[in-house]
Amino acid sequence: MSAPTFSASMDPSTKSIRTTSPSPTAPEGKPSAAVAPTLIDIENLDFHYGATKALHGITLKVPDRQVTAFIGPSGCGKSTLLRCLNRMNDLIDGTRIGAGSIKIRGVDIYQRDVDVIELRKRVGMVFQKSNPFPKSIYENITYGLRLQGIKDKGRLDEVVEKSLRGAALWDEVKDRLHASGLGLSGGQQQRLCIARTIAVEPEIILMDEPCSALDPIATAKVEELIHELKLKYTIVIVTHNMQQAARCSDKTAFFYLGKLVEFAPTRTIFMNPENPQTEAYVSGRFG
Amino acid sequence: MPPETNSAALPSPTFNIVKRRLSFFGLTLDECIQVFFGGNAFVAVVILGLITYFLFREGAEFFGQNRQNLTVYRQAGLEYVDFMRRQEQAHTALTRDLFELRMRAVSDMTTRQGLTLAEANQRLASFDDYAGRFDDAIGPLRGMVADLTEVATAIKTKFNINQDKLEEREQLQSAGRTVEANAVKVEPVDFASEIAPILATRDAYLENNRVLAAEFAKLVEQVPAAPTPKLQGAVERFKVKVKAYVATFPSIEAEMAAWDFRKSVPLWKAFSAFIFGRQWLTASFWQDWYGVVPLFVGSLMVSMVALFLAIPLGVGAAVYVNQIASLREQRFIKPCIEFISAFPSVVLGFFGIAVLGEALRALSQVTWLQWLPGFPIAERLNALTAGCLLGLIAIPTIFTLAEDALQNVPRAFKEASYALGATRLQTITKIVVPAGLSGIISAILLGLGRVIGETMVVLLCAGNRIAIPDFTEGLSAFVQPVHTMTGIVAQEMGEVVRGGIHYRALFVVGIFLFFLSLGINFLAQKIVRRYRISIG
Amino acid sequence: MSAPATHLFQAKPSFARTAEKGVFWLFRSAAYLVLLCGALVFADIVIKGAPAVFTTTFPFVNTVFLTEAPESLYVFEHEGAKREMGDREFRAFREQEAAKAAAQGRKAPEIKATSFVYSAGGIFPCIVGTVLLVVGSMTIALTLGVASAIYLSEYARQSPLVSFIRLAILNLAGVPSIVFGLFGMGMFVIFLEWNVSLLAGWFTLAFMVLPVVITASEESLKSVPKGFREGSLALGATKWQTIRKAVLPYALPGILTSSILGIARVAGETAPIMFTAAYVVRDKLPWEGLQHAGDFFFQGVMALPYHIYVVSSKIPQNEYTERVQYGTAFVFLFIVALIAATSIALRNKLRGRYKW
Repeated sequence: MSAPTFSASMDPSTKSIRTTSPSPTAPEGKPSAAVAPTLIDIENLDFHYGATKALHGITLKVPDRQVTAFIGPSGCGKSTLLRCLNRMNDLIDGTRIGAGSIKIRGVDIYQRDVDVIELRKRVGMVFQKSNPFPKSIYENITYGLRLQGIKDKGRLDEVVEKSLRGAALWDEVKDRLHASGLGLSGGQQQRLCIARTIAVEPEIILMDEPCSALDPIATAKVEELIHELKLKYTIVIVTHNMQQAARCSDKTAFFYLGKLVEFAPTRTIFMNPENPQTEAYVSGRFG
Repeated sequence: MPPETNSAALPSPTFNIVKRRLSFFGLTLDECIQVFFGGNAFVAVVILGLITYFLFREGAEFFGQNRQNLTVYRQAGLEYVDFMRRQEQAHTALTRDLFELRMRAVSDMTTRQGLTLAEANQRLASFDDYAGRFDDAIGPLRGMVADLTEVATAIKTKFNINQDKLEEREQLQSAGRTVEANAVKVEPVDFASEIAPILATRDAYLENNRVLAAEFAKLVEQVPAAPTPKLQGAVERFKVKVKAYVATFPSIEAEMAAWDFRKSVPLWKAFSAFIFGRQWLTASFWQDWYGVVPLFVGSLMVSMVALFLAIPLGVGAAVYVNQIASLREQRFIKPCIEFISAFPSVVLGFFGIAVLGEALRALSQVTWLQWLPGFPIAERLNALTAGCLLGLIAIPTIFTLAEDALQNVPRAFKEASYALGATRLQTITKIVVPAGLSGIISAILLGLGRVIGETMVVLLCAGNRIAIPDFTEGLSAFVQPVHTMTGIVAQEMGEVVRGGIHYRALFVVGIFLFFLSLGINFLAQKIVRRYRISIG
Repeated sequence: MSAPATHLFQAKPSFARTAEKGVFWLFRSAAYLVLLCGALVFADIVIKGAPAVFTTTFPFVNTVFLTEAPESLYVFEHEGAKREMGDREFRAFREQEAAKAAAQGRKAPEIKATSFVYSAGGIFPCIVGTVLLVVGSMTIALTLGVASAIYLSEYARQSPLVSFIRLAILNLAGVPSIVFGLFGMGMFVIFLEWNVSLLAGWFTLAFMVLPVVITASEESLKSVPKGFREGSLALGATKWQTIRKAVLPYALPGILTSSILGIARVAGETAPIMFTAAYVVRDKLPWEGLQHAGDFFFQGVMALPYHIYVVSSKIPQNEYTERVQYGTAFVFLFIVALIAATSIALRNKLRGRYKW
């Protein structure tokens, strides 16, 4: 049932990958994921919430400058894994890594001497519920830069425009940059959050169900944006919506009960998954 | 290129996320900030600790001093004299009974039998004669007590002067003025010889007791017939009382025989004299007592009046606002009650003095209210006046917390009840209030804590008479003036010698209050917590 | 019987319905009785106190009462007329009479006057003292309280230690004010040898109001959505940057409004300052006669609540003393009520405005 949508949206994405991929030799139609170098290397990861084990031995390699989708039923651990990638889980009481490691560009991000702040600058995050600060659009976007001590007005203006353009929001808000970010519509707010994330120029953008609170039109805009963003950024997206995963991702990981069931190019997952559980889930028989 | 080997293929010098930050004592700036805030959070703990420490620092020595106080009481023979004094006072009480009987007889005769005052007095001549004889009977004992009181007081004074001199000498010595110190003469008081004259009266006392017993036995037989038939019962009761009084003689004698001024006073006596002592008597020429009971009873009575008013009103208002009132009423009533909570207690106290006390007394003189116990009120400032104002202080506390408790009752409970066809009243009484009950109870407890700890209102309006009210006439005890624990501290702290026993006693009252309030608080929290567990 | 087509769900008058109405009226009267009592007290103080503070002629405010120190009032009869005078005026009057008499060569007439302490003049030193006490203690309480709340709401994690801190805060809130007074006396006045001073009063009051400030601040901090914090952290802000830029600015209005209630409490308390900061009477204003600037902190002050206590318990109630008694109570109640009303109004407004 998802096949038509899938193939329709697959085409432009593969094209765009081809033009920018570090391995432009990938033949037409072949899933490009296979040739992209690994950026995030998760190895045998166990994760605990207090006494309960939320993730069991996850091993996953997220390719550079591609969209990787995490899918699975509620409570399967996909969001948890996502929040491990920039250590947002540190903020929750009683969480810890039991075993395994996560390496980004070969650096273990759970090493003792890692600066979490630096990590989060490199690994940005967009949340399920859009959370602009109750400040102006302009200030929302420059927030991260100001934290880094950048005060130069010209530079800030430039970044604001670039980020808003990057988030496909510039045309809609350029006349009211100093209006409150809370005055925007839901979809605009979410794109503002994305723009805010881009402004600090991360390498990786984590998206935690970014469209779950949006209407279909706003969702379409955000998805479009994702396609453009992957030219420059590596994107990991958690989604409940399988069509969305199919539409925008290059590789898909299916989680179930805290385990990684299958990780493969999106096309494979949706067309002919190896694992019967995956098959049952993507065909809508459970979940 | 297979993806497995790719991780090494991207060695990027730009992905540098290793810590490189300023550090002080091995902490990063952010950790320093955290430590700063964490330190601040301990302020509350530290303050509680400091309160405990400083209350005990000033108050703990009270018990030693009180023991000394009681020891002197015994050694100087005051205790011995008080045995006799109690015997005398019991007799005085009986005389007062007779006097009261006469008053009632007079009023009976003048109002019911239509006699004039002179006629009534004439008829009571024989009764008066008897009362006179009854009173005179105690004469010798009274004289003895008066004499011995002087002797004992003299011993005590001597001892106290010596103590002062000792202190003076010590001070001089510690100041290095040895010569002057040696010049201070201290003659230690030899209690054994000093007290001998008191003990020497023993035989005379015993003899006197025998005479007294015989006298009273005679007097009981001679009690005149009741002047009016209505008083027959009272006369009979008086006879029984006199007989009981005479029967106490042997036990008093036994106590006096067992008494020994050398017996030391155990430390627990100093504690129990405070906690169970029924007298708070200070700056007395005879003996100072620091018993917290009258103050505690006063605090308790005032609080009872306050809660009696505040529970129905506070909880009722909470139920009304939370369950029944329209949104507009809610928006009006809630801020208003919160506003009442901001009334400074000293202003309420002033209101009590200026208006409420007088108003209550005027109310108590209305004829058709005479059936109420204690009406008409004799004193303007009493437990009731203070209690009413404290009620007004407790209401906002109880209201706010109880309303919170009701608010926290899950909506689903209510909806389920309505869905089963319950009326609003049924839902309120059967579902909402029971579900919020523990919250309401803890609200009441916290209200109690607020009331017991309140100072200014009771200081101004409770009447400040340090005595356990007379409970024999039931509820009318509540319109008698009382003194309270908070009130006594506020009233006397300004007038006492720093470091003296009285000063320390006030701190011990503070310690008592402190732990009482902690206990009430703890109980309230425990009740709330238990309730949380039961809900989910 | 002939009622038009009754249907199954027709409302019928029944006993239960009437009872319900009756019970509801009972609850309603409880609520309104409380309001009535409060209104009575308020009205009594306002009606009897306002004449002492306001006048019918320009400038409509009794400036003497608000700007001068208390004096004794002398009431006497002179040449057939009843006169009331303050202390200074009375002395001048007596001298003048004596001079007049001397000029006429007769003996100075004895003026027999009844005096009532504190009943003339004004209450300016008390107002000043109260303001100083409130400002100082709230500064201390807010600093300690907000920092403490930041720790509890932003840094603290579930641990026995943190629940112990919370328990301590809850218990501190229940400690009677007179116990704080004793503690302040034991620690600041005696142990630290600050004597009866502003500083001792500040700390005593600050410690007393601390639980209120902590609880209010924590509540305000907690009401800032989690998203703000996550959003900020995900942009690479440090914890402190997040708190300073994305949490505190939005919690601050709430913290301040709720703390105003604390101010009302501080201003309204008498017991804690009785032995730590308040003087019955002091003829110098706090800034007068200071040898060192530091002495400012080590002097006692007069305070409104304590003055009310003094004038209502130590002097008799009559037509001459009523003015100062009710006047002081009115000014004090007015100030406290104003603070409280501001707080309540602001909070209701904030509740409406901040919907994240």
